[in-house]
Order: sequence, then C-alpha cells, then structure tokens
Amino acid sequence: SQSSQDSDRCLLPDSTESNEDEGFPNFSTEAISNMNKIATAMISCGYEAECCMAYTCFRRNAFREVLNKLGFDSITIDDAHRMQWESLEREIGSWISIFKHCYRNLFPGERKFSDAIFSEYPSTSQRLFSELAAAVITPFLSFSEVIALTKRSAERLFKFLDMCETLNDLLTTIDDSYSKEISQDLTSEIAVVKSQLAEAAASIFCELENSIKSDQGRTPVPSGQVHPSTRYTMNYLKYACEYRDTLEEVFRFHHKNEGFDDAPNQENHDINEHLTEMPNDDGTPKKSPFAIELIAVMDLLDANLEMKSRLYRDPALRYVFLMNNGRYILQKIKGSNEIHNMMGVTWCRKRSTQLRQYHKNYQRETWSRVLQCISHEGLQANGKVVKAVLKERFKNFNALFEEIHRTQSTWVVSDEQLQSELRVSISAVVTPAYRSFVGRFKQYLEGRSMDKYIKYQPEDIETLIDELFDGNPMSMGRRRN
Amino acid sequence: MPATTDSSAAASFTNIGRSILSLRRDQVHSIEGMNMQHHDADTELESFQKRVTDRFLDLSSSSDELLTLSWVQKLLQSFLISQDEFRQILFRNKSQLHKPPMDRLIADYFERSVKALDVCNAIRDGIEQIRQWQKLIEIVLIALDNKKLIGEGHFRRAKKAMVDLAISMLDEKESGSALANRNRSFGRNNVRDNLHKSLGHFRSLSWSVSRSWSAARQLQAIGNNLNAPRSHEIMATNGLANLVFTMSFVLLFVMWALVAAIPCQDRGLQVHFSMSRQFSWAAPMLMLHERIMEESKKRDRRNASGLLREIYQIEKSTRLMNELLDSAQFPITEEKEGEVRQRVQELSMVFESIKGGLNPLEGQVREVFHKIVRSRTEGLDSLGKGNGPD
Repeated sequence: SQSSQDSDRCLLPDSTESNEDEGFPNFSTEAISNMNKIATAMISCGYEAECCMAYTCFRRNAFREVLNKLGFDSITIDDAHRMQWESLEREIGSWISIFKHCYRNLFPGERKFSDAIFSEYPSTSQRLFSELAAAVITPFLSFSEVIALTKRSAERLFKFLDMCETLNDLLTTIDDSYSKEISQDLTSEIAVVKSQLAEAAASIFCELENSIKSDQGRTPVPSGQVHPSTRYTMNYLKYACEYRDTLEEVFRFHHKNEGFDDAPNQENHDINEHLTEMPNDDGTPKKSPFAIELIAVMDLLDANLEMKSRLYRDPALRYVFLMNNGRYILQKIKGSNEIHNMMGVTWCRKRSTQLRQYHKNYQRETWSRVLQCISHEGLQANGKVVKAVLKERFKNFNALFEEIHRTQSTWVVSDEQLQSELRVSISAVVTPAYRSFVGRFKQYLEGRSMDKYIKYQPEDIETLIDELFDGNPMSMGRRRN
Repeated sequence: MPATTDSSAAASFTNIGRSILSLRRDQVHSIEGMNMQHHDADTELESFQKRVTDRFLDLSSSSDELLTLSWVQKLLQSFLISQDEFRQILFRNKSQLHKPPMDRLIADYFERSVKALDVCNAIRDGIEQIRQWQKLIEIVLIALDNKKLIGEGHFRRAKKAMVDLAISMLDEKESGSALANRNRSFGRNNVRDNLHKSLGHFRSLSWSVSRSWSAARQLQAIGNNLNAPRSHEIMATNGLANLVFTMSFVLLFVMWALVAAIPCQDRGLQVHFSMSRQFSWAAPMLMLHERIMEESKKRDRRNASGLLREIYQIEKSTRLMNELLDSAQFPITEEKEGEVRQRVQELSMVFESIKGGLNPLEGQVREVFHKIVRSRTEGLDSLGKGNGPD
C-alpha cells in the first residue's frame, strides 16, 4: 500500500493480472469501476491530459509485457536481412501468429476496456484505443516491409503470400472502432507495405519462369521418366493456386505497375489465344492476371519439355517421355480443384488430345515395323507361300520384338493407368495380329523349324508386352523357360 | 499525418522509373532503344553533383536554422529528392549496372541503405519520445496559462508535470548509454521507488530496435569502407562510381545528422567523415559536420538527449520554470506571478515550435524508409541473378 504522503497518487492495478487466456485485459469489475471513477473525475475536472498520459503508459506497458511473453523479439532489420531462411521462416511464422493474436483477440478486448473506463467520454476512448493499436501495429508493419527486402528465392513465395493475407486480414479489422485519422493513416501504411510484399511475390513467381527458361539440362532423364523439374514446378503451381485470391491481387498490382493492362511478354505466348480458351463455366472469357501468369509458366514448361524430349535419340522414348510428363501434369491439375479451375476444362481437354497424339506417335514409331513383319501381304509368289520369306518374317519379328522388349522394359511409366493403357493398346493390336499370322502360316513350317522360328506363342507375346515400361532390365535368356 | 512533401516534381519520374525498373529484362531493350538518345552521361553526373552541392549549401547557409525542426525537415527533403534523382540516373544507365566494378558499388550502396532503415525506426521512437515531452509541457501550459489567478493547486499540477518531464529527459539521456541498467518494470515490485511511477517514465514501444542496438555502431557500419572511387573505377564505370559515392555520403550524413538531432539509443557521433575535397559538396557538408560537432561539445549540450534546437529550448525553459516553481512560496507576490507568466510565455513558444513539426517529420522519416526499401527492391529486380544476355 502507498504511503499517505503521495495522496495524489495511487497504485495502478498490477498488470500481471492480465491474462490473455481469460480475456484481455482481465480486471475485476470493481477495479474497472474504480478506474472509471478516476477517469471521469479527472477529465471532468480538467485533468484529461494527465489521465490520458497515465492510461496510455499503463496500456502500452501491458502490451509490451504480453508481447514479451508471447516471445515477440525485436530483430533488427540488419539481422532479418542476413538471416538464413530457416530462421527467418520461423520468425515470420511467429510474426504472423502473434500479430493475428493482437488484432483479433487483444484489440477487441482493449477497446471494450477503454470504453468501460472512459464510459462518459467515447471519443477519448476511441482516440486512446486507436493510438495504442497503431503503436502496436507499427513495428509489425516495419518487420514485414523488411521481409520484402530479403532474397527472392522460390521457396519464400508462400511465406510472403501468408504475410499478404495477414495484412489483408488486418485491414478488415480497421473499422470505425478506430478514429478516422488513424484509420486512414494505418490503411495507407498497410497499403504501402502490402505493395512491397506483392512486388516481391510477383518477382519470385516470375523467377520461376526464368528458371524454367534457363534450364538447359543436357542430360536426359533416364528411362523417359517424369522429370524432377516437372514435379517441382507442378507441385509449386498447385500450392500457389491455394493462394489464388492473394496472387490475383499480387498480379493485378504487378501488371498495373508494369504499365500495361493485360499480359506480360507477348513473345512467349499469344494472349488472345488464352483469352478465348479460358472461359468461365458460363463461357465468358476469363483474363485474370494470375491466370495469365500461370498459363505463361505452363507454356514455358511445355516448351522446356519439348526441348528436353529432343535429347532422346530414340523417337519412341521421346514420346514416352512426353507422355509421362504430360500425364503427370494433367493428373496434377485434375487432382486439385484450385488449379483445375484456373486452367479450365478446355485446356485440360486439349492436353488429353495431345497425350493421345503422343500415344499414337509412339505406337507408330515402335510397332509399325513389327506389324509389317506379321502382315499377311507379300508372302506369296505365284499363289504359293514362299517359305524363305516366311522364315525371314518370323526371324525379323522375333528380333524386333526382343529388342523392343529388352529396351522398353527398362523404360518407366510410373502412372499406373497410363502404363496399363499403353500395354493394353499395344497388346490389342499386336497380339491378335500375331495370333492370326501364326495361325495362318505355321503349317508351312515343319518340325524343328517351327520351334526355331515360332519362338513365341500369342500368350507369350501378351505376357511380354505386360512387362514393358516396368523399369526392369531383364534379359530374354533368363525369362524363357 | 503524412508529410506534404515537395516531391511532386519528382513524382512523375518516380512512377516511370519504378515501372520501368520492374519490367523484366527482356522487355527493357526495346524501351531503351526508344529512350536512349544521346544523353551526355557526364552532364548528367555533373548536374547531380551540383544539385547536391546546392542543397547542402542551402542547409549550411543560416546558422540560426541549424538543427531546428524545420532544418531537419529540409535535410530529409534533400535526401528524398537526391535519392529520386539517383534512381533516375541509375535507370537511364541500366546497361552499365551489372558490369564490374559497378555491380559491387551498387550492391554496397544498397547494403548501406538497408542499414539506414534501423536508424529510421530508432528515430521514429525518438520523435515519439519528444511527443511525450510536448504533452507534459502542454499540461504545464494548461495549468498556468491564461489564468486570472494562479493558485497553489495550479502550481502543484505544473510542478508535477515538470518533474515528470525532467525525469523523462534524464531517463532518455541515461538510456542513451547501452550499458545503462534498463531493467525497470512499470508498476510491479518497485513500490518504494516513486520515480518509476511518474508519467515521465514513458518508454515508447521501441520494439523496432533491440536492446543491444546502437546508433553509433549503425552509423559506423553505414560509413564503413566508404572511400572515394579511384580513377580506374571512375573510368571503368563511366563516372557512375562518383554518383554512387556521392549518394552514399549523402545517406551517411543525413543519418548521422538525424542521430545527432533526435534522441535515440546509444547516440555516439564519432563517425569517420573523410570526404575528398575533389567533390563540390564536400565543403558544405564538412562545414555542417563541424558545426554540429561543435554544438555537441558545448558545455550545456554535451549531455543532451538530442541536439535538436527545440530540445535545447525545452531544457532551458523547463530549467528556468523549475527554478521558479521551486522557489515560489504561497501566497506568491505579484512580481513572482509576473515571472511565472513570462516563463509560461517562453514555454508556450517552445510548445508551438514543436507542435506543428513533429508529425510531418515523422511522416518524412517514414517516407525515407519506404523509399529506401523500394529502391532496394528495384535494385534486386533489375540486377537480379542471371544477368547474362537472354
């Protein structure tokens, strides 16, 4: 208790009473009533200045304590600038959660508190609350502006977008519980900071385009598999689409800043093409800024895959590579609503058509010569089957088939459905053709030569086709019983 | 609250500069082709130097103005305009920027400017502190001004505010030392220590800088390795090295002067300022530096929390007022009352001189912050990785 010599002073309630779990600030009704009486008395007697200063001091220290308890460190900009990403990422996560806690949980309580204490003076309550809130918000804004300064690397995009979303969220809480002047001031400050983050985010995303373009990998992925950069890019884009709204805002801002209304780089893709090909469900053309960027990336990825496919000397493997990657891309898009909606049904349909074309091309490349071997044409001279030719045919068939089996069982089609589709469609063409060839012409081979030339039964062919695209190197010798 | 800055002339340039700088590299060539008429690089650089010189001559012209609020505002204004011109020249010479040694020089400048951001935050805290002093002065004025009859109650009220003010200004000085024990909590265990209950013991929400941050160290870091470019560097960069050096020095000086004027954590002013006299702006800048250093060494300013003229005025008038209030006995004589009114008048003038100036100043500091960030991010965009031909 206070000594009586300072009768014009009294102990302010201990700020450790405030407990954010039970509602902040947490004071007894009696305490609040006392504070209300003090404030009312002071202001009505002309001591508003002292009253407000004391209140401000009281509340700012309370907030400082809360924030310290929550572990809000003030890192200097220098530190933030130099930090390794793992630490910075943690700081950002912490920033987001503490900041949200402040403006969603603590501020409403704070406003109620000041309303209770300055019940007779609502404009004073509003002013004091606004000033306090602005003082709490300011260091958070400063930190986030600095984040926009840090290195622009791909993995940082999502944290930047998280911060944008937090700032948007904050904006929704700046309502008329704030005084007009402070509300305007805060809103414009937040807009500046958001714009810095948005520019950084746009820049990172555009960096993705550059990195695809500059990926001149000279080594083809073995076995025609899905290329790691395809996986990376598609996963990245899929994740990015979950931030669709924020990215729309980012690119709306970015395109506006670049001084043109619609699209970036014309030479990479024809924007008008996309305008008509990207309809909404009701058929109206969509030209959202983010969609344009997304399609730009997809186009670059396509071009890049096209280039990579030409590293394969075997045209059949080339098509398998294109099928693998195309299929992976399509499945990724179909598997996620967000990115599927962005790309649109028409785009997906076009992709499927393209995949079917690759499939056809593959089949032609690999199997047309095989089918020529077991064609019924050209075996007869003067109405009679020429045995030598027949034997040659079987020999060629066997050699070709074995070669294909040896090579293409090492190829990989990881998508099970695609793998099965390929096998089924090959088998559907080759097996019946072989069966009919053997059935028709085996009578012309006797005894030992039958075994020598008809190495495989139709069932064998079917079984061997089923081993294609497994990624298994298997020698024929071991296989045959 | 935002300052009405005079940068409308620069504004249109700013927008174009920003938008072009943020274009992707492969789009710039066509625009460069359009704009790159014969602009004489030398004239451009020379006129930049001249403008900087003129601004500093203007800043050093009136010794009465030195370190007043309006002088500090003028100082920040010249930084903002210089920075804008700097950006414009850089963007007009974009193709030069990734050639060595220019790439390193630019990167160095950006690093320095990032260090200045912390100073900006610390200065904002200092401005907030001055605002608190302004509020306490206001209480004194409310208590004593325009009263027909000054009663004992008014005196006590004014006295209390003066005590709080004195403690706050003292506190600020002490906390200027990073070594001071700053482990004071408000309203907790220190029941016996009344000092800690005073209104003057106001610590603003200084979360922007950590407890160990030091303005002195930061200034030294900004000025670290800041040497005039050698002739081979100047030739290799077509003179742009001088541009960067000039802007770096402007940055350093402005930050140093801010720290000198405004209260902030660990305000050491010993920064090495070796300016090569070959630059026309060196002379006025050096003179300003000398005069500010002189000011800091004066007997009654040596321990000031900040060299701002208005802070000095606060200190003087509050000291006089305190003496008066201390010596007053009730009932006071007419003579004493006359003295009181005089002091109140002086205090009122000090109050007025601060009142209109703090918010615009803070707005300018904010603008400096934003401009540095934006300039840095543009730098990152235009000088990003993969600088080779497309």
